[in-house]
Amino acid sequence: MRLTDIMSNAGLSSYAEVALILFVLAFIGIVIATFLPSRKREMDRAAHLPFDDAAPTSPTQKGDRP
Amino acid sequence: MNAQLDAFTYDDDIVRKFLFATFVWGLVGMLVGLLIALQLTYPALNFGPILSFGRLRPLHTNAVIFAFAGNAFFTGAYYSSQRLLKARMFSDTLSRVHFWGWQLIIVAAALTLPLGFTQAKEYAELEWPIDIAIAAVWVTFAVNFFGTIAKRRERHLYVAIWFYIASVVTVAILHIFNNLSVPAGPLKSYSIYAGVQDAFMQWWYGHNAVAFFLTTPFLGLMYYFMPKAVDRPVFSYRLSILHFWTLVFMYIWAGPHHLHYTALPEWASTVGMLFSVMLWAPSWGGMVNGLLTLRGAWRKVVDDPILKFFVVAVTAYGMATFEGPMLSIKSVNALTHYTDWIIAHVHTGALGWNGFLTFGMIYWLLPRLFQTKLHSIKLAELHFWLATFGMILYAAAIYSAGLTQGLMWRAFDDVGRLQFPDFVETTMRLMPMYLLRAVGGSLYILGMVLFGYNIFKTWGARPATYEEPVIRAAPLARTFPDTPTVATGGAWARFARAGWHRRWEGLPVTFTVMTALAVIVASLFEIIPTFLIKSNVPTIASVKPYTPLELAGRDLYIREGCFNCHSQMIRPFRYETERYGEYSKPGESVYDHPFLWGSRRIGPDLARVGGKYPDLWHLRHFDNPPQITARSIMPPYPWLHKNPLDFASIQKKVDVMAMLGVPYGDAVANAPEQARAQAKQIAAGIAAQGGPADLADREVVAMIAYLQRLGKDIKLAAAGGGQ
Repeated sequence: MRLTDIMSNAGLSSYAEVALILFVLAFIGIVIATFLPSRKREMDRAAHLPFDDAAPTSPTQKGDRP
Repeated sequence: MNAQLDAFTYDDDIVRKFLFATFVWGLVGMLVGLLIALQLTYPALNFGPILSFGRLRPLHTNAVIFAFAGNAFFTGAYYSSQRLLKARMFSDTLSRVHFWGWQLIIVAAALTLPLGFTQAKEYAELEWPIDIAIAAVWVTFAVNFFGTIAKRRERHLYVAIWFYIASVVTVAILHIFNNLSVPAGPLKSYSIYAGVQDAFMQWWYGHNAVAFFLTTPFLGLMYYFMPKAVDRPVFSYRLSILHFWTLVFMYIWAGPHHLHYTALPEWASTVGMLFSVMLWAPSWGGMVNGLLTLRGAWRKVVDDPILKFFVVAVTAYGMATFEGPMLSIKSVNALTHYTDWIIAHVHTGALGWNGFLTFGMIYWLLPRLFQTKLHSIKLAELHFWLATFGMILYAAAIYSAGLTQGLMWRAFDDVGRLQFPDFVETTMRLMPMYLLRAVGGSLYILGMVLFGYNIFKTWGARPATYEEPVIRAAPLARTFPDTPTVATGGAWARFARAGWHRRWEGLPVTFTVMTALAVIVASLFEIIPTFLIKSNVPTIASVKPYTPLELAGRDLYIREGCFNCHSQMIRPFRYETERYGEYSKPGESVYDHPFLWGSRRIGPDLARVGGKYPDLWHLRHFDNPPQITARSIMPPYPWLHKNPLDFASIQKKVDVMAMLGVPYGDAVANAPEQARAQAKQIAAGIAAQGGPADLADREVVAMIAYLQRLGKDIKLAAAGGGQ
C-alpha cells in the first residue's frame, strides 16, 4: 500500500473545513483585539513611531566613505 | 528610576550602497526590457543565441524583480528598520555579505540566463548553484534583520516591520520549496515535481513572489516613507494591522488563478479564484489607508514630486489589485490568459507601484543620505511626468494588444470556422501596439536616466565626510512595565509569570511563527491533495516517458526559452480545440520535469504539434522561420543546425529522470546508443525528404524528435491501446 492510497482513502476533506473555521476564528480574534477601544492610546503611539527616530543629541564628525 | 541611555549610530553606508545598486540594475533591467519589446516588432534584433528573445525575457523579469525591486526593498528596509527599531543593524559584516552576495547573484544571473542555463520556471529560472547562493544570502539577511529586532530599543514593532518579517520568512519558504530539484550537471537540474504538481508549485511560488517580494515589502516601505514624506502618521494604524493579517491569510491561496482551465483540478482553480476575489478588500483597504494619509496635505502634492510619486504608486497598487481579482475570475481569465493583457497587468504593478514607490522613496532619501540638497527638484518633476506618460502609453497600448489578440483567437465566422485560423494573423495585428509600447517604455527609461543624473549630481555635492549623528535611546527594560506582580508561591503562579514575560519578550518570535503558520498551513491544504490524492491526477496508460533523444531535445527547448512564447496547454474551449486539437489532460504531463505549460502565447500552442508538420519543415523553420511562415516574428535558430549534439550528457539526464521515478527501463543502461539510433533514423528521413544529409549528430535532430513527440501519446490511446 502506497502513501497515495492511504491518503486517498483517509477521508481528509474535513480537515480543510476545520482549518477554515480555525482561521476565521483567528481572524475574528485579530479584528477584535485590533479594535478594542482600550487600545486606542497604544495604537496612536505606534502610528507615531516613524517620527520618533530618537533625534541626535550630539552630532560628531566621523570619517565615512562616500 | 532612570535607565542608562545607550549611544549608537545608524549604518547609512549600507543604505547608500543598495541605493546605487537599485538604480544601476533598474536601468539595466529596463533596457533589456526595451530590447525584447523591440525584438517582437523587429525580429532582426535577435542577435545570435545569447541575445535572442527566449533567453533575454527571463533576464528582464529577473533583473527588474530581484535586482531593481529587490535592491530598492533592501535600501528602504535597512534605512527604516534601524530607525524604527532604534538600533544599528545587528552586524555590519552581515550587511556587507548580504549586499555583495546579492549583487554577485545578479551578475551570475546576467551571465547564465543568456547562456541558456535555466530551470524553465518563471521567476525561478536560475539554476541550482545560484539557488543555493540565493538561499544562503537570504538567510544572512534574515539573521541580520532578526538580530536587529532582538537588540532593538523600541518595544513595539511598527507595522512596516511586520511586513518585512512576513516577506523575509515567506520568500525563504517559497524559494526553497519551488526550487527543489536534482542536479544533472554543474548548471542543469530537473525539478523533483512533474506536470500538474510542478505547475501548482510553480504558480504557488510565482504568485506569492509577487505577493511577498513585490507587494508586502513595498507596503512596509509605504507605511514608513509615506508618513515621513507627508509628515503625518498613517491614516489608520488599525487598518494597517488588518491590511497585514488579511494579506498574510489570503495571498498564499491565490496562486491557482494562474492555471485556470488548464489540467489543474477544478477545485484548486476555484479556491484560487475565491481567495483572489477576497484579496480585493484588504488591498483596497491598504490603498485607501495610503491615500488618506495625505488628508489635509493634498496641496503639498502640487509642489512635491516625492508625494506625486507616492500618490501614483498607491493608485497603481489600487488599480493592479482591482484588476488582479478581476482577472482571476474564470470567465474573464478565459479571455485574458496567454495574452498581453497579463503583461499590461504586471507592468501596471511593476512600473506604477514598485517603480514609483522606489523613485519617491529614493528622492526622499537622497538629501538625507548624502547630507546635501537634492540636486534638482525640477528634474525630479520632469522624471515624474515622463514616467507617468510612459506608463500610461505602455499600459494603454498593451491592454489593447491583449484584448485584440484574445478576441481574435476566439472569433468564429458565420459558418462556425475559426475566423483567424493563421496564428500569425493575430500577431501581426499587434505590431502597432507593440511599437507604441516601446515608445512608452522608452519614455519611462528616459525618466530613469534623469533619475540617475539627479542621484549622481546629489552624490557629487556630498560633504567630505558624512556626519554620523549619535543617537541616544534607552535599552529595552527586561520586564514589560505593565507586568502584573503575581503572588509568589505555587508552581502555577511561577508558570503564569514566566509565560507573561515570554509573551511580551517574544513578540517578534510569536509574530514570525504566526505568519509562517498562516502561510504554511494554507500551502499544505492547497498543494498536498494534488500530490497525495489519486483522483487529482488521473493517469493515462498510453503516456510513456520521452526517449533519450527527445529528452535531450526537450532540454534544448528549455535552453532556448521556447516556453516564453509557446504554451503546451490546450484549454477545453471549442476555439482552442479547433485550432490546436484535443484539450490537454493532467495525465499527459506526468513525466514533465519541469512542466512546460507556458503562460504566454506569442506563438501558437505546441501541445499537439507532434506529427503536424514533416521533419524537414521543422529544420527549415528553425533555420529561418519567416521563410516558412510569412511574417513570422519567431527568431531564427540556425545554430541548432550547426551545433553538435552532446550525446555524452544524455545518460546522466536519463539517470536523474529515472531517479525521480520516470520509468525509463533499459534506457538507463544505454541512453546515448538509443539516442544515436533514433537520431540516425530522423536524419535519414530528412535526407530522404530532400533535406541536407549528415544531420544525425546535430542538435536540431533532438529538437525535432521532441517536437514530433508532443501530444502523440494520447492519440495512441484513442487509436486503441498503443504499444
